[in-house]
Amino acid sequence: MSDGEIINTRNDSLAHLRRIHGDDAETMIADARYGFISGLMQDVLEKPSVAKVTMTDRIDRLMLNRWLGIPLFLVILFGVFQFTFTVSTPLIDWISRGMDWLAEQAAVISPAWLGSLLSDGVIGGVGAVLTFIPIIFLLYIAMSILEDTGYLARAAFVMDRLMHRLGLHGRSFVTLMLGFGCSVAAIMSSRTIENPKDRLATILVTPLMSCGGRLPIYVLLAAAFFTAHQGLVVFGMYAIGVILAILLAWLFRKKLLSGESGHFVMELPPYRLPTITGVLAHAWEHGKAFLIRAGTLIFGAVVIIWFLNYFNVLDNIGRAIAPVFSTAGFGQWQAAVALIFGVLAKETVVGTFGTLFPATEGTAGFGAVLGTELGWTPLIAFAFMAMVLLYIPCVATLGIIRKETGSWKWTFFAFGYTLVLGWLVATLIYQIGSLFA
Amino acid sequence: MEKKKLTIALTGNPNSGKTTVFNNLTGTRQRVGNWPGVTVEKKEGNLNYKDYSIKVVDLPGVYSLTAYSLDEIIARNYIVDEKPGVVVDVVDASNLERNLYLTVQLLEMQTNLVISLNMMDVAESKEYRIDVSELSRLLGAPVVPMVAARNQGTQELLQTVIDVAEGSIRVKGINLNYGHVVEEEIEKLEKLISGSALADGYSPRWLAVKLLEEDKEIEKKIGHA
Repeated sequence: MSDGEIINTRNDSLAHLRRIHGDDAETMIADARYGFISGLMQDVLEKPSVAKVTMTDRIDRLMLNRWLGIPLFLVILFGVFQFTFTVSTPLIDWISRGMDWLAEQAAVISPAWLGSLLSDGVIGGVGAVLTFIPIIFLLYIAMSILEDTGYLARAAFVMDRLMHRLGLHGRSFVTLMLGFGCSVAAIMSSRTIENPKDRLATILVTPLMSCGGRLPIYVLLAAAFFTAHQGLVVFGMYAIGVILAILLAWLFRKKLLSGESGHFVMELPPYRLPTITGVLAHAWEHGKAFLIRAGTLIFGAVVIIWFLNYFNVLDNIGRAIAPVFSTAGFGQWQAAVALIFGVLAKETVVGTFGTLFPATEGTAGFGAVLGTELGWTPLIAFAFMAMVLLYIPCVATLGIIRKETGSWKWTFFAFGYTLVLGWLVATLIYQIGSLFA
Repeated sequence: MEKKKLTIALTGNPNSGKTTVFNNLTGTRQRVGNWPGVTVEKKEGNLNYKDYSIKVVDLPGVYSLTAYSLDEIIARNYIVDEKPGVVVDVVDASNLERNLYLTVQLLEMQTNLVISLNMMDVAESKEYRIDVSELSRLLGAPVVPMVAARNQGTQELLQTVIDVAEGSIRVKGINLNYGHVVEEEIEKLEKLISGSALADGYSPRWLAVKLLEEDKEIEKKIGHA
């Protein structure tokens, strides 16, 4: 028998079934399975005559409410945010002062160049990044709690209706939410998305979510330029990321990857009280990666930055690129250099500033140096934060995009479109903001 | 004496406690790798039970075995191509109806299936009463009630797996009827498939059903056969 004949017969069968039943064979087969199961259930399962209203049902009545669902989600997100911010700010300041002290001790080491390498380069750079350990850990703890309690699945569920209208579905939103922790882990989670086009669109926009690596730069700039509204400004960054991710996913789905969206059932696991060990283990997994990056990649980067600076080549590199960013207000060579090295890992942006501007007086003092040395205003700081949020995913993220899409083309696309988007948004913020200033 | 080797595949819906069952079975003797060609994590573990050396392969958690997602394709290909000695399907007893959709599909594939009826405690707290022996009779496969979170039922599960592997428990499976209109078409296709090279190692009836479901993976196989 030829295989062509098998396929032809199959196609005739499908047409025949559709004609007499008006349904796909697939649907009829699935119905047969459901029929078998529901018959079986009658025989084997006895439920209490009045279904017990579980605690989960009661909480869900509120959380999944048609009108309250999304506002509650925003309130919870903002709450998480205020919590990590308020609790960590004093801790960060202590560590920052500790690092300043350490840098002062190292500065007197001779020969002078070694003292400067250790004090300005290593402690200034790596120390600047390590300072933010408390907020990174608190963020990961908060994310673990949201995930382990089962709330993350609810957040995706309440967003599902909105997402559907944009041609995506709730499962994409789970991936985006995980992007608040780390883009790499989030992109790996996208494989539960059944439809390949939905999956690709989701992968492409996940890097627009504010991951833990961006937090140090937000905290640093918010503390220096927005004393009264730090939480709000950082929340604004998160919001810009989410809104752009959803809009672009919709655009990509419509223009580049058109086609039907997948059908699926959204899983709602029961609420569970997370265990302390579970949450801490989870947070440690991510936090460890942050520490390892600080000790290897960022350490290497700041040493290179220090040497390039010591031999007066760094400013030339920065000056070659800086004019591009003058439309967004941060056309100084130091900012350009920070952005170049930030592609290694976004927190390197902070490390670069730490090396270039040996810091004093805690985080607020550190950030304020950018005002005095570079002439930054709150508006420029805000545009720069948006740039750091949006431009080029870090190398680890690019690597996972290559791996999961199996395509260099899409990897370059992710590289290119984020760069253009970052520049565009930062420029718009600065130009429009300047009109009102 | 040389131990007898046995491979079992662990499958089940997400949130059915599959990972807990896997940990109970293998303890710390686990290896993590990747499924060939993809970045989906593959977990394997080993254990010794009686005179068996057992390899446990943890398949991705799935709701179904249609070829819609990467996870589903991986799980299905493993069962179809590697033919593990026994397949253990971890089922959440407190969500029995939904979980059985996967179970039914596994039985359609005529796998040597053992059902691990997990989370019996949650089912009880909801005041569900499950007739386990009737369930086992209707599915034509052994059912082992368990509470994996408290490591209850692991020994019973292992013993049942061995019994199935040795043939002292026979998995009869189900004979799912898809309705006479569909059955007529299945029969036509089955005959054609039986006469072709495709029938090697696959059940012609299962292939016929998959073709009617317009399963892309099976269509690809036909293209290459």
